[in-house]
Amino acid sequence: MLRKIGTVCVMLTLAMLLIAVGCGKKHPSTSEDKSEAGSKPAYASKGDEGTITGKVGFDGASPVSKKIDMSQDANCASSSGDKMTDDTQVADGKLANVFVYLKGGPVDSHSFPTPSDAVTLDQQGCRYHPRVIGIQVNQTFRVTNSDNTTHNIHPSPKRNEEWNQMQAQGAPPIEKKFGRPETLIPVKCNQHPWMKANIGVLAHPYFTVSAKDGTYTIKNVPPGSYTLVFWHETLGEQTQQVTVAAKESKTQDITYKSGSTPAATSMQIGPTLVLP
Amino acid sequence: MNERTGKAVSDQSNVGLHRLAVVLSVLTVALLVAGALVTSNEAGDSVPDWPLSFGRWLINSNSFVANVRYEYSHRFIAGIVGATTLLLAVWTLFSERRRWMRSLALCAFAGVVAQAAIGGLRVRFPEYKALIAVPHALVAQSFFAVIVAMAVFTSRKWLLPRSTGPDNANLPLRRLVSITVAAVLIQLVLGAGFRHQAFGIVPHIIGAIAVTVMIALTVFAVWRRHKQEEYLIRPARLAASLLVVQLGLGIAAYFARLASKSDPQPLEPMISLTVTHLVVGALTLATMVVLALRCHQVLIPARRESAGAVSAAGLRSSGAAV
Repeated sequence: MLRKIGTVCVMLTLAMLLIAVGCGKKHPSTSEDKSEAGSKPAYASKGDEGTITGKVGFDGASPVSKKIDMSQDANCASSSGDKMTDDTQVADGKLANVFVYLKGGPVDSHSFPTPSDAVTLDQQGCRYHPRVIGIQVNQTFRVTNSDNTTHNIHPSPKRNEEWNQMQAQGAPPIEKKFGRPETLIPVKCNQHPWMKANIGVLAHPYFTVSAKDGTYTIKNVPPGSYTLVFWHETLGEQTQQVTVAAKESKTQDITYKSGSTPAATSMQIGPTLVLP
Repeated sequence: MNERTGKAVSDQSNVGLHRLAVVLSVLTVALLVAGALVTSNEAGDSVPDWPLSFGRWLINSNSFVANVRYEYSHRFIAGIVGATTLLLAVWTLFSERRRWMRSLALCAFAGVVAQAAIGGLRVRFPEYKALIAVPHALVAQSFFAVIVAMAVFTSRKWLLPRSTGPDNANLPLRRLVSITVAAVLIQLVLGAGFRHQAFGIVPHIIGAIAVTVMIALTVFAVWRRHKQEEYLIRPARLAASLLVVQLGLGIAAYFARLASKSDPQPLEPMISLTVTHLVVGALTLATMVVLALRCHQVLIPARRESAGAVSAAGLRSSGAAV
């Protein structure tokens, strides 16, 4: 009998272990300031900054949007707003939601002040608005819920801390910061798996997202030579070399071709078999 | 022929305990289905806290929507499985004479606790989801195998007097079937790794080829050596059938996943195919476990047999080619 009681005690100990895991403190979800810009000299404007502007075109047949089935949440299904996929938004041969940013040159060799205003990602009609968003390192990232349902916001970064937080209807905004540059961080609502967004985190303010007509503008660019990076969620990344002279306004157009895809994954079997 | 007496059977038989083990096996299959639905619907992070769900043990109906339905159902069924395992373990401890059965019951309980802890880690550390999801799958399938084994050990069929026979081929069946069980378990883990994107499809395809060969060899060996022994032939036949179904499901699930890549969310038939593929995989493991246990029960290793411990009559006398 004593042996059996001892065994039951072992079982209880295991149960306690389980409780200990449950009560274990989760790592803090807010990012600490791990900016890599600390040692760089602060950028001092000489008033000779230029502008890069252009259009992102799309060559080929526009991708067909698919209808999103929101029936698993009545609040989403009954909400107003578009219920078609928008991962590749093309209008009149122009591509929206391309994240455009500068790499190299003076923007990477200087530090820039963190804006005091927040960048907001809203959940409305069970979709993220906007779908692609840019933010500076340590700038406040605010998430609001305009829906009559509960969401959870789950960015999956590689260089920043991952967090996953619920936000009920009417709940106050969630505010977070990303401590390290990272392009781009996918964001997902695990309750509504069609809800996807992407956040570009940069140490400088020279980035933008192409509008519905494909146009983009990066203002106040310090003179210098850069790599201009265009990133699209489904079509991948393209780059251009650009040199901006003092007070110059540069036009840099680019075109994505239908069928161009980002890096292959192990799941792809197309005309050629791609295995890991 | 080496036979146990009928009295020994009635002494060891515990119908209630056996029924509970069977119920727990069925509940575990339900839990595997629920877990597979969580993965296929990408619902693993839909409830960000653990062990509570949105700060509660029982969530309200307003919260039970969208992907939360899958994740919370998984947690709820896991709770029932945990409680049933505890009941089974305590019952076994206080009613079983076989010491190793009591140890097995304790193993089952330790497994369910470990599994719950791994599940909790998976929720609380989403950045390591691939790393944590693979052991979660391993423990799940191993736990299922242990519960199936307990159901076998407490069954009247197991306790009935059985003819025993020699296992003296170059590759003994006991060894072959044990290797096959291990291969199936490893293959299930490779499948989980692919599903959770810990690695690509290649290891799972290699595993599928290996498991196909191993099950085919095992079934062929059973059929060749013990054709008349229904006790062994039945699970072997079932394993062969499940293998065929599983291969078809695996190919269908893979192409369904490929076709669903541009879908805005997980949709049918990808969800049903991947879930069924996982469940048939688990049932294949269970069938192989049953076959392995039965082989170990009725086949006597050549060394022991040659030492004259038992008569070689048994199965040989029933007409099976050895």
